[in-house]
Amino acid sequence: MTEANNEKMIEKELSFGPVHPALIEPYRIRLFVNDEIVEDCEININMAYRGMEKLFDGLPVEKALLIAERVCGICSHVHAWNAVRVIECGLGIEVPPRADYIRVLVQEFQRITSHLIFFGHAFEVVGHETLAMRALLLREQFMDLMQYVGGNRVMPSVPIIGGIRPRADLTDSLKKTILERCDAFEAKYAQYVQRILDDPLVISRVNGIGLLTKEDAIKYHATGPTGRASGWRYDLRTEMKEYKPFDFNVIVLDGCDTKDRVVDRALEVLESLKIIHQVVKNLPDGPVVNRNWVAKEMPFTTAYLETYRGEVMHTYGLDHQGLVRNYQIRTPTITNLAAMEHACVGDHVTEAILTIASCDPCLTCCTRTEVVDSGKRRTMTDYEIVRKYGWRK
Amino acid sequence: MDATILFLAQLIVSSVIALAIATLYSLVLPGIERKIQARIQQRVGPPILMPGFWSVIKFMYKARTEPIAQMPRFYKFLIGFGVGVVSLLFLFNTPYWWFMLGWGSILGIAGMLKLEEVIYVFMGSQSQSIMSTSMPVPDTVRGSKWPNIRREFNEQHSAERSLKMMLIGSLPLYLALLVPFIVAQSVNIGSVVVTQNPAYSPFNSWLSFSLPTSPILFTVPGFIAAIVYFLGFVVMLNEKPFTILKAKIDMIEGGVLEYAANLRAGYYLMRNLLMFALSSIFVTLFLGIPFDPFMPAMFLMNMVLSLMLPIALSVLVAFSPIFTFRQIYPTAIGLSALGVLAMILALSI
Repeated sequence: MTEANNEKMIEKELSFGPVHPALIEPYRIRLFVNDEIVEDCEININMAYRGMEKLFDGLPVEKALLIAERVCGICSHVHAWNAVRVIECGLGIEVPPRADYIRVLVQEFQRITSHLIFFGHAFEVVGHETLAMRALLLREQFMDLMQYVGGNRVMPSVPIIGGIRPRADLTDSLKKTILERCDAFEAKYAQYVQRILDDPLVISRVNGIGLLTKEDAIKYHATGPTGRASGWRYDLRTEMKEYKPFDFNVIVLDGCDTKDRVVDRALEVLESLKIIHQVVKNLPDGPVVNRNWVAKEMPFTTAYLETYRGEVMHTYGLDHQGLVRNYQIRTPTITNLAAMEHACVGDHVTEAILTIASCDPCLTCCTRTEVVDSGKRRTMTDYEIVRKYGWRK
Repeated sequence: MDATILFLAQLIVSSVIALAIATLYSLVLPGIERKIQARIQQRVGPPILMPGFWSVIKFMYKARTEPIAQMPRFYKFLIGFGVGVVSLLFLFNTPYWWFMLGWGSILGIAGMLKLEEVIYVFMGSQSQSIMSTSMPVPDTVRGSKWPNIRREFNEQHSAERSLKMMLIGSLPLYLALLVPFIVAQSVNIGSVVVTQNPAYSPFNSWLSFSLPTSPILFTVPGFIAAIVYFLGFVVMLNEKPFTILKAKIDMIEGGVLEYAANLRAGYYLMRNLLMFALSSIFVTLFLGIPFDPFMPAMFLMNMVLSLMLPIALSVLVAFSPIFTFRQIYPTAIGLSALGVLAMILALSI
């Protein structure tokens, strides 16, 4: 047994990853345990670098924004939408209301698919394969709907600067299909959720573990459903002008445990369905894109958006040629990491992995630029990168 | 011919036939198990022979790799040892072994089961896969709060879990095993079978068969013991919900992680044969129908009825999460209490 500081005695370290069948992304979890009880946790990311920000640099803005969608395969629409919101905000580009409605529609489609893939992963970690498979089966309906709207299941590429792609406009038959699919989904989904809540074995695995109090959630900057399941009422959608026409509830629970993080997402799916119904029924007439804009010099502008995992930030500027400069992205997982590490403490080893999964991490998306120089490793700020390597020619 | 030599010849022939049939049959069981799970999950699932039979053949022909273990030769030996232990466990259940030095008794079965359990402790303490602490690159973060902590391989942690399961988790199975012997008031399997199936004798004609008249399963203590036995069967097979020592999400495969190619095939053989052996023991002890290799009707009945436990297992696995020790301890204590209740009730029969 080793005494590493004055407060805790640690018996041993168990580490998992980055090559591990349970971790769907390359990261490393170091658990410091006494017997089976986790006393502390470290999550090491930075295993996969893609250098996304560098890819953006110097590209024409329309071309660069296509890359933004590739940041994540689960929240592709979020990044595409927030990337265009930056320039729309910076250059004051008007977006037609119909386009905003359809952007919200795809956002909520993808929120449902994201939460269902969360259930798939979480129940796989719980060890309940049947519930995991059912979640992925239910998800298929919304993957199909995204394809009908955007032309692709994973990268629908709906938003463009000034609106949406005209091919993503809703026809009457598509509106009817969406409503029918949503109704059919709602009935099956309600049964699915009820089954989870009625299963004593599953509930015994998720109830009372992974505790993250409201104070800790705020202290560690937990965002999205992870924070809301700890009683922190914070959802950026309530402040976004795009969401003003819609009536929906922000799901806030005060159980602060893994069960509530699951239930919070389960209830958010129902709110998303409510928004989808309102979009389809109240879709305004009019154009779907405003092409009356020109790329020109734009100061660094920032836009925030409530994604399925929490708050995402995009920021960039345009130079005098209209080329993208100094693109930065902050995904919600970065701010949730510390909360995940904290929530694991006191749980059994097997439960700790579930607690991390219950915060819905997307680690490859949140890994940022790193430079290895003379054997020393450190993360450089974008300013340092620009200063050292210059603008991309 | 001398009676002893004749008996030994019969013992050897019956053992060879029994093992050949059991091994082939056990290779079908994982396919049935996986197919049922897949249907419950609205999937097609693999072909019946794929997970058991063809995967064993496939692994036998894969390029052999040296396992990373503290003592690789000992680690490799454990597979052969395990197959031997499980084979003997099954053979002790067949009629000709009932007359061999008292091995065909509760002592023989319990002894072999304990040996089978302890194998996982040895495997876990030996295996040192790259999946946990032995990363080929520096993996500790500068500024970590815990820089000099003893690091343990996942498999070693799995070995510790195996030890706990040996002490607590498998106790209900042994209690349930005792119930038929208490009813028969004997430690011999032969007496347990004859109590339920008086017309049966290993020396009957090879075409004859006899059905049990008073199976223990259909008594109150027998039924309770059967439930406890089934859950003990799940524990012994390390299947969900009691798969903590090889939980995919942390321990991956536990101590068997480093077995590849022919060793992996050997592990599958061991695991599949154990599934059939435990099922066959259940049919012998609780229904009075032994696996007699010289009586086709008897061994076919035993084989068909042996499907009960794997089918029930598939359904349980499809609907169960993995239990942690928070759930395993109370479950094991509750099942042990049920096992003791069954034993007390069995005394009154």
